Amino acid sequence: MNIVVCIKQILDPEIPARDFRIDSERKEAARGSANLVTNIFCENALETALQFRERAGGRITALSFGLESAEDSLRKALAMKADAAALVINDGHPHPDPLSVARALAAAIGKLGDYDLILVGRESGDWGAGQTGALLAEELRVPCVNFVDHIDATPDGFSLKRQTDTGWEIFAAKPPVVVTITNDEHNVPRVPKTRDVMMSFRQPLTKWTLDDLDLDSAEIRAANSFYEVVDLLIPVKETQCEMVEGESLEAKVDDLARRIREVTSAL
Amino acid sequence: MSDILAILFASTGFDGAAQGVLGEGRRLADTLNRKLHALVIGPQNEQMNSSITPIADRVTAIDQPEFSEYDTEPYLHALLAICNQISPRVVLLANDTYSQEIAPRLAHRLDGSAVGDVTELKFHDDALRVTRSVYGGKAAAIIELKRYPAVVWLRARAFAPAEPRTETIAQVEKFTVDLSGDFRTRIVERKREALGATRLEDAQIIVSGGRGLGGPEPFEELQQLADTLGAQMAASRAACDAGWVPPSWQVGQTGKKVAPGLYIAVAISGASQHLAGISDAKIVAAINIDADAPIFKRCRFGIVEDYRKVVPLLREKLSGTEK
Amino acid sequence: MNDSHATREVFWNITQAWAMYALLAPTLILAGYGFYRRVRVWKRGLSLDRTDRPAERIRRLIIHALAQRRTTRDASAGIFHTLIYTGFIILTLATTVVFIHQDFGLPIMRGKFYLYFQSFIVDVFGALTLIGILIAAARRLIQKPKKLVFTDEAAMILAVIFLIAVTGFLIEGWRIAATSDPWGHWSPFGYLIARASGPLMSDETLKQSHAAVWWTHTILVFGFIAWAPYTKMAHVAFSPINIYTSSLAPAGASLKHIDFEKAETLGVNSLAAFTWKDLADFDACTECGRCTAFCPANMVGKSLSPRDIILDLQRFMRANAESAFNKIPSDGDGKFPPIIGAVEATSPDALWACTTCGACMEACPVFIEQMPKIVDMRRYLVMEEADFPDTMQEAVTSIESRGHPFRGTPWGRMDWAEGLGVRTIDQAADAEVLLWVGCGGALIERNHKVTRATAQLLEKAGVSFAVLGREEKCTGDPARRIGNEFLFQNLAQENTDKLNRHGIKKIITACPHCFNTFRNEYPHFGGNFEVYHHSQYLARLVDEGKLKPEKKSEKKITFHDPCYLGRHNDEYAAPRRLVKLASRSTVEMKQSREQSFCCGGGGGMSFIEEPPDKRVNQERARQILETDADRVAVGCPFCMTMLEDGINARKGERDVRVIDVAELLWESVSADVKG
Repeated sequence: MNIVVCIKQILDPEIPARDFRIDSERKEAARGSANLVTNIFCENALETALQFRERAGGRITALSFGLESAEDSLRKALAMKADAAALVINDGHPHPDPLSVARALAAAIGKLGDYDLILVGRESGDWGAGQTGALLAEELRVPCVNFVDHIDATPDGFSLKRQTDTGWEIFAAKPPVVVTITNDEHNVPRVPKTRDVMMSFRQPLTKWTLDDLDLDSAEIRAANSFYEVVDLLIPVKETQCEMVEGESLEAKVDDLARRIREVTSAL
Repeated sequence: MSDILAILFASTGFDGAAQGVLGEGRRLADTLNRKLHALVIGPQNEQMNSSITPIADRVTAIDQPEFSEYDTEPYLHALLAICNQISPRVVLLANDTYSQEIAPRLAHRLDGSAVGDVTELKFHDDALRVTRSVYGGKAAAIIELKRYPAVVWLRARAFAPAEPRTETIAQVEKFTVDLSGDFRTRIVERKREALGATRLEDAQIIVSGGRGLGGPEPFEELQQLADTLGAQMAASRAACDAGWVPPSWQVGQTGKKVAPGLYIAVAISGASQHLAGISDAKIVAAINIDADAPIFKRCRFGIVEDYRKVVPLLREKLSGTEK
Repeated sequence: MNDSHATREVFWNITQAWAMYALLAPTLILAGYGFYRRVRVWKRGLSLDRTDRPAERIRRLIIHALAQRRTTRDASAGIFHTLIYTGFIILTLATTVVFIHQDFGLPIMRGKFYLYFQSFIVDVFGALTLIGILIAAARRLIQKPKKLVFTDEAAMILAVIFLIAVTGFLIEGWRIAATSDPWGHWSPFGYLIARASGPLMSDETLKQSHAAVWWTHTILVFGFIAWAPYTKMAHVAFSPINIYTSSLAPAGASLKHIDFEKAETLGVNSLAAFTWKDLADFDACTECGRCTAFCPANMVGKSLSPRDIILDLQRFMRANAESAFNKIPSDGDGKFPPIIGAVEATSPDALWACTTCGACMEACPVFIEQMPKIVDMRRYLVMEEADFPDTMQEAVTSIESRGHPFRGTPWGRMDWAEGLGVRTIDQAADAEVLLWVGCGGALIERNHKVTRATAQLLEKAGVSFAVLGREEKCTGDPARRIGNEFLFQNLAQENTDKLNRHGIKKIITACPHCFNTFRNEYPHFGGNFEVYHHSQYLARLVDEGKLKPEKKSEKKITFHDPCYLGRHNDEYAAPRRLVKLASRSTVEMKQSREQSFCCGGGGGMSFIEEPPDKRVNQERARQILETDADRVAVGCPFCMTMLEDGINARKGERDVRVIDVAELLWESVSADVKG
C-alpha cells in the first residue's frame, strides 16, 4: 500500500494582524518577521496517514512543491515517521495557481511510482483556494473524495468518512484515489519524538527541479494559465468595541442584555 | 453559448444561498447582455422551480431517480454533460460542501478554470475578475480567470437575490443523463443531523462557543441561551477539534461562513481564521475573560468577564423578566 | 575528698567485659555493610563531580550539618532534633573519652574534666536527649503533622533511643548507689535515681540490676549501631555527605545539561539514568516531609509530593537494587525498568503539576534536589515519548515555529514601544545596555505597561539602551522547564550567537525567567553577559542619583517574591527597595523571601488548564488578600498574569491591584503619571 501525502509550507497564518503586510510587487504577503510552518490541514493529512498505516500498514511518502525552505516541513514529516520525502523545487512564480501546483505534484507522483492513496489538505492557510486535491485527481485521472476525516481499509479499497454541512457521509472507494483531509478531534498532528527529529536530518530526501519532471516547465513556472492574482490588498476595517457599562456584574450584564435586545428586536 | 449557468441543488431548496447565486447570475447576465440558464439537479422540487422560473431565462432540471441523493461522481458526470451542451462562459455555484468539491473538477474537465468563496465578480474587458478573501481573512485578492468556462462558487449570502419578473416565466426543460459506466467511488452511508429550523449560514442570530468553554457541558448552557434568543449554535475550530461539538458547528475560514445580524462569541479568542468565518456578521458581541482577546477588536460590544458568571445571568435577563 | 582524684572505675561490676569487645566486631561489620550496601548502589548511577571548592563545602557543612540551620526553621521539630542531635554528639564524645581513658591508657577521665564534662554536662545532655525523644514522640503520636510519614520503623527508632538513654541513667544511678560514689551528685539525674532506688534495693540486687542493665544497654547500643544504617538513622552519615556534595550553584542553575550527541536516553526513566548524587539523595532523606509541606502544588491538593517522589524511589531502589540497573532482557529496545509511574509519586499527573519553584529544595535540611529530578522525568516524557499535556504541547510547538509560546497573540514584538522612540540594536550599535523585553513583556497586553515603564525609567536616567526588536526570540525557559531540552539548546545557541554577534555585554530584563536563563544557563553556550533583573538595575540607578523617587503612594502594598528571582537567584532586596521608595505603607506576607509561595506560573504551568479547585495562583491570591493590602507588587510577567487571575477570582467586591515594581517606581519619579 503506497500512500503519498502532499504538504505545503506557508507563512505562519497566526502572525498578528497588525504585523501582516503585503508585498505589492510580488502580490503576496511580505515575509516580515513571520515564520514558515507546515499548513495545518497538511499536518492533519499526515496524521491521518500515520494512523491509517498503524492500522492497515503501508508506506508513506511526503511530497511538497515549494521553495527550498519547504525541506523543513518535509524533515518534520520524516520526524513524524513518514517513510520517505520528496521536494519539487519551485523556482518560478511565488504563488502558482492551483492547476500548476496540481500538475507539478502529478508529475512528481508519476516519478514516485505506483500509489493507492493520495492525501492532500483540504485547503491552505495562506491562499486557501481549496482546489489542489480536486485538480490533482483530475490530472491523475482518478476520483477525489473531499473533507475526509477518517480512512479505513476494506477488502475492495477504502472506506472514507467525510464531513458535510449537515453531518457526514461514508464513501466506498477503489484505489487509487485522491482524498482531501479536513480537521477533526482525532487527527490533531502528533508531536514528534526528539530522537526522531534528530534522525530526520540524516534521512535521504529526494529533490527535483521542474526540469526533472515530465511537464511543461515553462508553463508551470509562469503558473498563471488557470488564473492570476492581479491585485492583493488589505481591506480597511475598523470596529470600535464598546465595553458594557456597570459597576457590578449585575449592572454590566443588564447593559449587555439591553444591547442584545436592541439588536434582536430590529432583526 | 457564452451564457451564464447557475447550478442549484434541489435538495436544499431555494434557500438564501441559492437566491444569492441566482441573483448574481441574473446581474452578470444582464451586464453581459446574455442569458441566465439555471440548472436544478436532484429530486423534483416544484416550489423551487416556481421561484426560479421568474428569474432565469432558461431552466433545466435533471431529476432522474439516480440523482435523488447526492453522490459526487454521478453528479459530476451529469453537470459535465449539461455544461458540454450549454457551453457557458461562467458557471456559478454556492459554497456548500458539494459545490466546493465539484467545481474544480468540473472546470478541469471543461478545460476551464475555477475559483471559490468569491464575494464580488466583475468583467474586465473580456475577462472575469473576482474578489475573494485570502490569508485567513487578512487580505483580499482580485483574481483574473484565464480559461473558460470560469466555474465560480460564491459566498452566497454576500449577494442579493434578484427580483422575479412578472411577465415572462421560463419553462422547465428536462435533461436526461446517460449514467452508464462504473464509478470508482460511491456514497454508502449518510447521516444528517437534526437541523435547527434554519441552517447556520441562514441563521440571523448565532450563539457560538470557543476553547474557553473547556468541555462539552458548558455548551448546554449556551444552548439554553440560544433557545431563549431563538438563535442557532455554532463553535470555533478549537471546540470542534476537541470533540466537544459536532464538526458541522464549526465557523471559520474552514467551516461555515455565516452572516447573521447578531453573532455572540462566548469564550472565543478571535483568531483570524475564525474571524474569516464571521466577516459578514453585522454585529458581533463578545463575552471573554481575557481583555487581550483579539475578538474585542472585531466586536461591536463586549464584556470582559468569566462566561460562567455572565451566561446564566444573561439568560435570566433575556427570558422575559423586563425591568 | 580531693576533686582532682575524681574518676570512676570503667567496667565496674562487669565481668566478661571482653564480650563487649567481641560484640564490637560483628556490630561494626554489620553497620559497615549497611552503609556499603547503599553506597554500592549509588555507584551504579552516572558520574558527577561534587568535590570542587572544598572550602565552600565545608562551610556549608558547618552551617547546615553542625549548626542545623534549616532543621531549626521548623520550631517544634527544630527543638527536639537539636536536643537529640547534640545529646548524641555529647554522649558519643563521652564514650570516646572512656575509650581513650580505658583502651589507650591515657588517664583523661578524671579530675575537674571528669566532674564538669563527663559527669555533669553529659548527664544534662542525656536528660535533654530524653526530653527530645518525648517531644518527638508527642509530635508523632499526638500532634501528627501531615507532612510526616508514620512508619513502624520511625516509632521503633524513637523507642530504642529512649531505652538507651533510660538504661544509661539506670546504669549510672545504680553504680552511684552501689559504690556510694562520693562525686555521684555531679551527675544530677543519676544521683536522683541513686537516691530513689538505693534504699529500695539491697547491695546484691543493685549489683545484679546494674550488670543486667549494663548488658542491656550495651546490646541496645550495639544493636542500634548495627541496625541504624538499615533505617533512616543512616542519615547521620548520609546527610552530612549529602550536604557536602550538594550543588553549590544557585537553585536557578540546578537543571542538568544533556549532550545530545552522546546521550543514550533523553531524560530519566530509570534509576540507571540518574547520577550517583541523585541516588544518594534518595538515601539521604530523613522523611521530615518539609518539601511536600512547602510545595505549592501539594498545598492546593494536587497529587505532586516531592517527599513521596524521593521516598517512593528510595524504596523502589532498595527493592530493585540489582534489576533496576540492568536492561530488561525481554525488551528488544534495550530499556531499563521504568520509574515513571512505577510508583504512585512519579505518575505523570504528579510530574506535570510542578511549577519548578524550588520550595522543596529550599526546605530540605539535607539539600536533596527534588525539582531537577522531576524535570529529568519530564524530559523523558517529552523527548522520548512525546507524551505531555496538550496545552504544553501547543506552547512548545509555538516556541518552535514562531519563537514564542503565546499562540494567538494579536501583538507583535515592538507594539509596546509605540510612541516611545525606543531604538533597536540595529539603530543603536553603541548602546551600553540591551533591554531584553521577553515574550511576556511584548506579547501580553497587561505587561506592555511594565515594559514601557522600564524603558521610560531607563530613558529618564540617561541610560543608553536598545532592544532587539523583532529579532527577539524566546530564551527557551518554558521549553526547558516543560522538558524539551533539545528545543531549549537550539534556542540558547541561536540566541547566544545572535547576542554575541551584536556585541552585547549587559542585559537588563523584567522577566526573572529570562534573567535566570541568561545568568545561569546561557554561559554554557558561550553567552557571558552581565545580567540584571530590572529591579536590580533600577535600584542602582536610584542609588546613583539618576532616578529620583518623589511621590510615595498611600496605598498599602505587599510584595510577592518571584521564584526565579528570589529562591533561584537570591535576590530579595532590590525589588523591595523599589517598593519602599514608592510606598508609605508596606506589609510582608508570612510566606515571603526564601519561603515565598509560588504564583503557580512557572514550569510551564501557566499553559495548563488547572481544575478550578486546585489552583496555586488562587491560594497565593488568598494569602495576598489576607494582608489587607490594596496592591501587590510583582517583578515578573508570569506572576502578573497568574496573580491578576487569582485575585480576580477571589477578591469579591474588593479592589486589589497587581503592579510591577517598575510601574511603581515610574509612578514615583514621574510628575505626569496618573497613579
